[in-house]
Amino acid sequence: MPPSTLKISYAGEKGPVFWLALRTGILTVLTLGFYRFWAKTRLRRYYWSAIRPGGAPLEYVGDPLEKLLGFLVAVVFMAFYIGVVNLILMYFSFALLNANFAAYGLSFLGLTPIIFFAQYRARRYILARTRWRGIRFGLEPGAWGYSWRSMVHWIATLCTAGLTWPLTTLWLEKYRVSRTFYGDRRFVQGGSKGLLFGAMRHVYYALGLSAAATVMLALYENPAWVLVYLLSGPWLIYGWAYWRAESFKRMTEAKQLGDMQFTAKPRPWRIIGIYALGGLMMNIVLSGVFLVAFMALGLAVGTTDLENINLDDMDMAATALVPVGVLIYFLFIILTRAMTHAWITLPLAQHFAEVTEVVNTQNIAQIVQRDRDEFAEAEGFAEALDVGAAI
Amino acid sequence: MTGQDVNWVFADLARGERAHLTRVQIACYPEALIIGMPDGAQITWGWNTLRRVRDQADRRLMVLSHQGDPLTRLYLADQEMQKVVTRNAKSLGKRDHATPLSKVLLWAGGAVASVAVIIFLLVPLMATQLAEILPPEGEKALGDTTFEQIRVALDETGLGGVRICEDPAGTDAMQAMYTRLNPDADLPYEVKIHILDHPMVNAFALPGGRLVFFRGLLEEAENPDEVAAVLAHEIGHVVYRDPTRDALRSAGSLGVLGLLFGDFAGGTVALFIANQLINASYSQAAEARADDYAHDLLAQANISPEALGTFFERLHEEHGDAEGIVAHFASHPQMTDRISAAQDAVDPTRDYDTILDAQSWRDLQTVCGGRETSSSDGPAPSKKPWQKPD
Repeated sequence: MPPSTLKISYAGEKGPVFWLALRTGILTVLTLGFYRFWAKTRLRRYYWSAIRPGGAPLEYVGDPLEKLLGFLVAVVFMAFYIGVVNLILMYFSFALLNANFAAYGLSFLGLTPIIFFAQYRARRYILARTRWRGIRFGLEPGAWGYSWRSMVHWIATLCTAGLTWPLTTLWLEKYRVSRTFYGDRRFVQGGSKGLLFGAMRHVYYALGLSAAATVMLALYENPAWVLVYLLSGPWLIYGWAYWRAESFKRMTEAKQLGDMQFTAKPRPWRIIGIYALGGLMMNIVLSGVFLVAFMALGLAVGTTDLENINLDDMDMAATALVPVGVLIYFLFIILTRAMTHAWITLPLAQHFAEVTEVVNTQNIAQIVQRDRDEFAEAEGFAEALDVGAAI
Repeated sequence: MTGQDVNWVFADLARGERAHLTRVQIACYPEALIIGMPDGAQITWGWNTLRRVRDQADRRLMVLSHQGDPLTRLYLADQEMQKVVTRNAKSLGKRDHATPLSKVLLWAGGAVASVAVIIFLLVPLMATQLAEILPPEGEKALGDTTFEQIRVALDETGLGGVRICEDPAGTDAMQAMYTRLNPDADLPYEVKIHILDHPMVNAFALPGGRLVFFRGLLEEAENPDEVAAVLAHEIGHVVYRDPTRDALRSAGSLGVLGLLFGDFAGGTVALFIANQLINASYSQAAEARADDYAHDLLAQANISPEALGTFFERLHEEHGDAEGIVAHFASHPQMTDRISAAQDAVDPTRDYDTILDAQSWRDLQTVCGGRETSSSDGPAPSKKPWQKPD
């Protein structure tokens, strides 16, 4: 009898993911962005293979060429939409409202159904290209249904100033998860409407406290009330981390796959710690890089003979400095991204993976393979709109 | 089946049929890797058909696949055996593409064609149509937005935008020049002229009848007629609504190009270059039309149209091809045509006036407070003159 519980071990390491992100980032810049399909695929292969439920790694089998193809397919359709619709919206926003922001707003609004559509399609592609123990995951078609539901839920959330966000999160998760398969087996996302409100409670407390302090401040003009913000500010940060941990736990523990269930014990303080430590390390490194750059610049200026400077040389130097400046700017972005992978994305993935367990796995071997989901446009729309998953 | 001279090692095999890993034994033979199944069956993987799955996080584990079999995976943890496999299998790093390249090329062609049709045909066509029917208030709003963006973009100090020169005597002189040219009959709205305190030798028109002159151009001009010629040229752009059309056009094409290159750092450069190229190539007809208009306007005001040509010519001689502001004109073939067109427009029998008296011309040239107090005198950035930036 196989063990009835599978722990998830994590094999990712900061160093390798940093170098992988740095290398692929540099190649992306050098190829004017076209390496990004390869970059994303390689990073995903790394992140997926780091997660090892029961010791067997997940595998991402997406093909960069397939992604490039999907992107091209999306461009053929989207170019028309973006070009013509942007132009018309710009015209109307200036013709009727005499303002620019309306064009941006309208243009974004016109894109939202496609953004949600693209997100669902991207998820379908990613799941179709994910395997564990050689068995494919999958997501049923349903992108337009997801799109209009997302719009309705988002409007509801905006109307309630974000207070119903827990409900939106759960509903959309239910839509996605109950269309997700592992092999021939369908996932089920349980949980009643109120499931996630408790996970948001520290955010509500902190917001309530801030609101109370603001009202008191307005009524009594006693500056002492400002001190309350010193409490409610950090509380809000804790509330956000608590939400991330607790909503993950509650939704994960309400998921089922056949007899299988899941447990998760993420810790809010660990999430805060990852961000704090990661932010600190990134600041130290970037300050160091700036310091070295300034010293190099100082050295270059210091060795110049200021008495006999030639104006033509100055012009040449200025011309040469522009590409150097652009290069440094890109290096800065790439470095920041690579460090974010190493110090934030990877530790977070590690934490969530290691605190999760799959239970009741005794019948897992009965799950059989599902057919390959051929997918003409891969996640092209998400790629074109830049709304794909971060990795 | 276990041979005496071969070393059998345990590994895990996923066959892609059930969610189950099979514990297998593997052995290396000179010509192939042999996988021994628990039921006694054997699978043979020739060395050249072996592939290693790349970018794996777990460095102690080797994940192997087999050419032509996309589903099966062999998880090999034994370090010694990994070395043997690496030594024997020569094509571990080879990539077998599932996506045919011809298909990628086909769609790449489709994407390029579709983007080209949209940027070079559809968007310009629509921009022309829409610019005609955009109400003047809308054009003004568009111009106001662009003007503020330009002021901020040109300011090197980063303190909120380049100063507008407002010395009353100087602005009066500019206004007098405009009144003398008297183009109001052709215009849907009133023209506003701004002089910016910036060393660039440049002037351009914005949507909604805003004309922008830089201090550098006023200082570079030798006489008021040259400034008047540039002014008349820019008014020509306003009359034909060129700036509005350009703004609408770039709104459409920038979005499409952004789509193509993505948002990442590399994309930004490509986007910028591509947009510059498109802009540089599309307003030749518009330039010629604005020149024609300027010739007529100058002639009506009894100013020699030759001023437009001489100004270009002199800038070209003084600064040479290398200097940014002339480089654009020097490089495109219409430069000489434009100069000769200006000369052709001159009526040799006529006795032309000059547009401003000496005092007003001095006032105009010192509208920003004179040369002595000019805030910056750095090299002029390369910028196409007489065109609106985006």
